[in-house]
Amino acid sequence: MMKLLRRTLIVAAIAAPALALANANVDAPAPTFSATTADGKTVSLADFKGKTVVLEWTNHDCPYVRKHYGSGNMQTQQKAATAQGVVWLQVISSAPGQQGYVDGAGAQKLNAERGAAPTATLLDPKGELGKLYDARTTPHMYVIKADGTLAYKGGIDSLATTDKADIAKAEPYLTEALAAVAAGRKVEKSSTRPYGCSVKYAS
Amino acid sequence: MFSFLRPISLALLAAPLLALAAPPEASTEHVQARLLSSQSTVAPGQRFTVAFEQNIKSHWHTYWQNPGDSGQATTLDWTGAQAGPIQWPTPSVQAIGPIVNYGYEGRAALLMELTVPADAKPGSRFKPTAAVKWLVCKDVCIPEDVSLGLDLPVAAEGKASADAAQIEEWRGAIPKPAAFAVQLKAASQGVRLSGTTAGVTKAYFFADTWGAVAHSAPQAFKAEGGNWTLDIPAGDEPLAAGKPLSGVLVLTTAAGEQASTVSVPMPEGAGKGPGPADLSAPEAGSAGAAAAATPAPESELGLLPALALALVGGLILNLMPCVFPVLSIKALALVRQGNHKAEGLAYTAGVLGSFLALAAVLIALRAGGQQVGWGFQFHSPVFVLVVAYLLFLVGLSLSGFFEIGGSFTGMGSGLAAREGLAGSFFTGVLAAVVATPCTAPFMGAALAFALSQPAAVMVAVFLALGLGLALPFLVLAFWPAAQRWLPRPGAWMDKFKQALAFPMYAAVVWLLWVLAQQAGPDGVALALGGLVLMAFGLWWRNASGASTVGTLAAVASVVLALGASAWIKPVAADVRAAAGESTVEAFSNERLAELRGQNKPVFVNLTAAWCISCLVNERVALSRPEVHEAFAKAGVVYLKGDWTREDPKITAVLKAHGRSGVPLYLYYAPGAAEAQVLPQILTPGLIVEALSSSSAPRSST
Repeated sequence: MMKLLRRTLIVAAIAAPALALANANVDAPAPTFSATTADGKTVSLADFKGKTVVLEWTNHDCPYVRKHYGSGNMQTQQKAATAQGVVWLQVISSAPGQQGYVDGAGAQKLNAERGAAPTATLLDPKGELGKLYDARTTPHMYVIKADGTLAYKGGIDSLATTDKADIAKAEPYLTEALAAVAAGRKVEKSSTRPYGCSVKYAS
Repeated sequence: MFSFLRPISLALLAAPLLALAAPPEASTEHVQARLLSSQSTVAPGQRFTVAFEQNIKSHWHTYWQNPGDSGQATTLDWTGAQAGPIQWPTPSVQAIGPIVNYGYEGRAALLMELTVPADAKPGSRFKPTAAVKWLVCKDVCIPEDVSLGLDLPVAAEGKASADAAQIEEWRGAIPKPAAFAVQLKAASQGVRLSGTTAGVTKAYFFADTWGAVAHSAPQAFKAEGGNWTLDIPAGDEPLAAGKPLSGVLVLTTAAGEQASTVSVPMPEGAGKGPGPADLSAPEAGSAGAAAAATPAPESELGLLPALALALVGGLILNLMPCVFPVLSIKALALVRQGNHKAEGLAYTAGVLGSFLALAAVLIALRAGGQQVGWGFQFHSPVFVLVVAYLLFLVGLSLSGFFEIGGSFTGMGSGLAAREGLAGSFFTGVLAAVVATPCTAPFMGAALAFALSQPAAVMVAVFLALGLGLALPFLVLAFWPAAQRWLPRPGAWMDKFKQALAFPMYAAVVWLLWVLAQQAGPDGVALALGGLVLMAFGLWWRNASGASTVGTLAAVASVVLALGASAWIKPVAADVRAAAGESTVEAFSNERLAELRGQNKPVFVNLTAAWCISCLVNERVALSRPEVHEAFAKAGVVYLKGDWTREDPKITAVLKAHGRSGVPLYLYYAPGAAEAQVLPQILTPGLIVEALSSSSAPRSST
């Protein structure tokens, strides 16, 4: 019996390192977090276990974000995704005083005006969530699979411009990633160049 | 009668035509832009240079062909002429918080070659236009676009313009292909560029595409003799082997900055992993061993020196506080008379097996795209918990609460030889497991080498390390003469064994303290609950006279306690208590760059709660009043980076200094180009001396 215990301990001691947590790397477990939403609730990634989660870094005054909201592209994608049971989380990592910073009420008002339909908006004025995921641009998109692994990180599409007319010409990376995840396929382009304004962290 | 209207109607007709001819200059809110031609008259089919000059409002910037982490390159879309690619002058680095951009401030001139249509008629006009788009940013970004055009007469013979000289001057600022050889090879976390240009004091590489290298990670520069190296962490989309890594390399010598374009094929095995987000390994120096800087932990280290260092490191590991108690237990077994060769071999097998398993896990993780190293397990609170449980059980056993197979000390009688061997093997495993939070001098170099090498070499180095660890016991077992030095067996052995339990309990306390920082009070409560549960299960077993039920209860309690670890959750970073000392600031690359920019002396301490040597150094050196005084006197800013949990930013800094783990102590003298790397074992005198020594860059690694 003690021999069994001994073996269990040895195996546990040697296997445990594999559980070490990684950062926001594709195919690795997405970093866990909890954050405050625009309506004052606290949500954590663990709450959405079993569902696909999209993280969208945003800054409403950034011209690249305006390209996708002004054209309705972002809202369309949000609605299509959430209709399929995807959890869509906007993240605002602009520090107070920086472009794109809003409080909870401000964020809700913006989304109402734009007809945006994320599941929730996460307020990250200290930039902790942004830095945890190494978010660099607005927009910067991440897709987390139901099992908690990161399936995609990068741009919303392939054309790094502020021209709305380019949306139709671009390769829609995020849409493709979500389709692959829904179909249980491997995301073909799982790490792409994020483009946009820099995330306005406190400097 | 209406003849007076004729010129007006002509003007009205001509107006749209005039509007089509775009002006050569335009201004937006942030940029004055203009086109300059090297020719005042062009010939049909002629190829000539056009410059697009941006005069950017101060503190704003536009972007290079690879804008870096965010932003967008300037584009010119020509109609009416065939245009070659933009020739970009060398960009500068714009760092905004953690984000790094490549672009231009002030005045920048992009050049391109235009070709006049071959069928252009002499006497007509050549009127190419360009739709120009750029993004201009300060703390916010504004996309701007203008339409610019040229209007040049076509003649049989072209004629240079007055701007030709200015354009040639700008051409001088466009980097040319390097006139010297540059090598590219795989480094542990990305790639290493190297060359033999003498007198280089600084280097920076601008990759011309996104993803190949990490823009925001520091590039570690080293120069020795006529050779220099630049380590560049891999980006989010590392290039495949054989594909060229191209960009602009800027070398700074006494003569100034020299920028050249380079394009070198990616070597095999380079650039795996997502750059700065890599895992890496802690490496602790030692407490009480002879103080010495770790010898160069370069991947240039040959295999044989690495093996030798690993062996010596493994030997010294025996004296480390983590391993010594385990070893003492084993030594007790030798006190008995008899042949211990088989036990020695079993112990060695246990050590080597564990190191092999560790190497296998590391290789597997590395193959999965992660880069990991020695002791990285301690990033996982679950691992910390399991080791705490293990040491607690060993402690209980030593206290006589129960006997692990009775074979630990050989005190139990009537044990089968096989049990004794299994016990020896297990002791070997235990020694290897408890050794992981400790690293002896010389090991750092060997491990840093091993982690950058192919699997076979890595295994060899790990085995050498294990052999070093097992060697003293192996020698004792095979050399009866040595056994004579050991004290005679007697009743004292029992007391000594019991006394050894206390270092074990102390180690458990330390591990729980580490766990407290990783998993918060809940994690600690869970761990303590697990300890109580195990003690209860073992008591039941004892009370029931080691009956099957009692034994089952003991095993069940251990399994339950381990199962509890599933609820261990790492606490969010912001819950961490801030460093108590008010004079200490949290480390960040931005803060470091800012302070160095202000020419302030900076001391950087990269540490982790589970790193014993780090804690010892803080205790015996960094928190000493004479050191505080020296810091205050020199106006040193003390930055402390905590690697208790994995932090890619700190990992990148460690890598940049050729380390795979903490501690790392850096001193940046005011104005020094490079940090002085202090030894892993600090003394107050050493720090004070570092502060007072000249600011000449000196690197011990």
